Amino acid sequence: MQVGALMKSGSVSHRSEVAVDIVSLNKWYGTFHVLKDINLRVKPGQQIVICGPSGSGKSTLIRCVNQLERHQDGQIFIDGREIDPKARALHDLRRDVGMVFQHFNLFPHLTVLQNCTLALRRARGMERREAEEIARHYLERVRIPEQMGKYPSQLSGGQQQRVAIARALCMHPKVMLFDEPTSALDPEMINEVLDVMIELARDGMTMLCVTHEMGFARRVADSIVFMDGGRVVEQAPPSEFFTSPQNERTRTFLSQIL
Amino acid sequence: MKFNLAFAIETLPVILSALWTTIWVTIASCAGAAILGFLLEITRRSGRVMSYVMRFAIDFVRSTPLLVQLYFLYFVLPFYGITLPAFVVGIMGLSIYYSGYLAEVFKAGIDGIPNGQFEAAQSLGLKRFDIVMFVIAPQMLRNIAAPMGNYFVSILKATPYLAVIAVPEMLGEAMEVASDTFRYAEPMLTVGVVFLVLAVTVAHLVRLMEVRLLKSARR
Repeated sequence: MQVGALMKSGSVSHRSEVAVDIVSLNKWYGTFHVLKDINLRVKPGQQIVICGPSGSGKSTLIRCVNQLERHQDGQIFIDGREIDPKARALHDLRRDVGMVFQHFNLFPHLTVLQNCTLALRRARGMERREAEEIARHYLERVRIPEQMGKYPSQLSGGQQQRVAIARALCMHPKVMLFDEPTSALDPEMINEVLDVMIELARDGMTMLCVTHEMGFARRVADSIVFMDGGRVVEQAPPSEFFTSPQNERTRTFLSQIL
Repeated sequence: MKFNLAFAIETLPVILSALWTTIWVTIASCAGAAILGFLLEITRRSGRVMSYVMRFAIDFVRSTPLLVQLYFLYFVLPFYGITLPAFVVGIMGLSIYYSGYLAEVFKAGIDGIPNGQFEAAQSLGLKRFDIVMFVIAPQMLRNIAAPMGNYFVSILKATPYLAVIAVPEMLGEAMEVASDTFRYAEPMLTVGVVFLVLAVTVAHLVRLMEVRLLKSARR
């Protein structure tokens, strides 16, 4: 495998018209209907921000995209390929979908570098040197220069989250999912993570972000999705979303957080 | 008959002649029990049917006496044409019996790993085997170093059971001295002291290992 081609930021040689296509998605937890007939289309290179009150189903929605949550009804296509929620082995799909979690979820027993190389070596079958080269590249990109030999617990929250972003980028994903990536951070660390995400967006990475950072949404989002009660209530580009929201619930939500 | 310290010391070389048997049967049984116990626990987590089957297997080996299991393996299996050397039966017996207990310890160790670790590993596209080996097992071992070490000491102290199936370990040798000389107190004291020294050593090693693991954790 060519390192150079892999390391080129955020670009994929062949792409289908739609990176992520969610069609009439429904999900239940027992009898509780969490996702109600969701339709969402993400084109390659687009950044979509999903917001909404807690319990609205936004995290569940993006967790369906890499099947950490299985849906019961509807379809999800990644790069044109439909996901089978009944499949036992989903690692092929998940290699192409990077995910960043609220609580970082770095592997505490591995160094920063090993966190980044584990999947390259075990899932992509790369040699150690090659994997480390890619890991270094992305760790530099998220500005974790001299910390590669450290353990996650020795880093600040902001640094840990940037390592988590680098770890996901190493797999050269077709789309990146962010599940409230700054919610667990101290306020002074939020910007260092957002800056990395903004750069990533500028480089054309396809992104689906659940976040309450409306400043970030305004700056990078192609489209903002507002969810409430398991439904997509409104979807609009930032300019419209913030200035002339159509739905009453969107207006209420915005008045509470802005 | 008075207690004779000189005779007690005299029995020491005879008992120590079986020291290596005791040590390597212990090591083999610890390894066997740990591997088997880990497989039981991992299989138990791999689906609903397996969960019931493995739950039953774990409860079964924990709920029958070790001595019964040993006699069963040693005397009953030959009826079905399976004849194994005594020490193989001994290691099998100890491995199977303690695998049930270690499976429980591993369960607690895995339960203590935050769910986000599984999710992060899955979302990176790692296969189940790699998740278990490189993400779950190392963190599990850190969580359970102390209780697992306790069971290793228990396995050491259970090796005398193998005397009943004629494995030449230390208690067996002591019994032989006793029945030859009709003096029980001295060889029993000696074998007890040797086990004490061994057990304390193992416990100490376990503690060292625990400290090392915790240091590497620095969570």
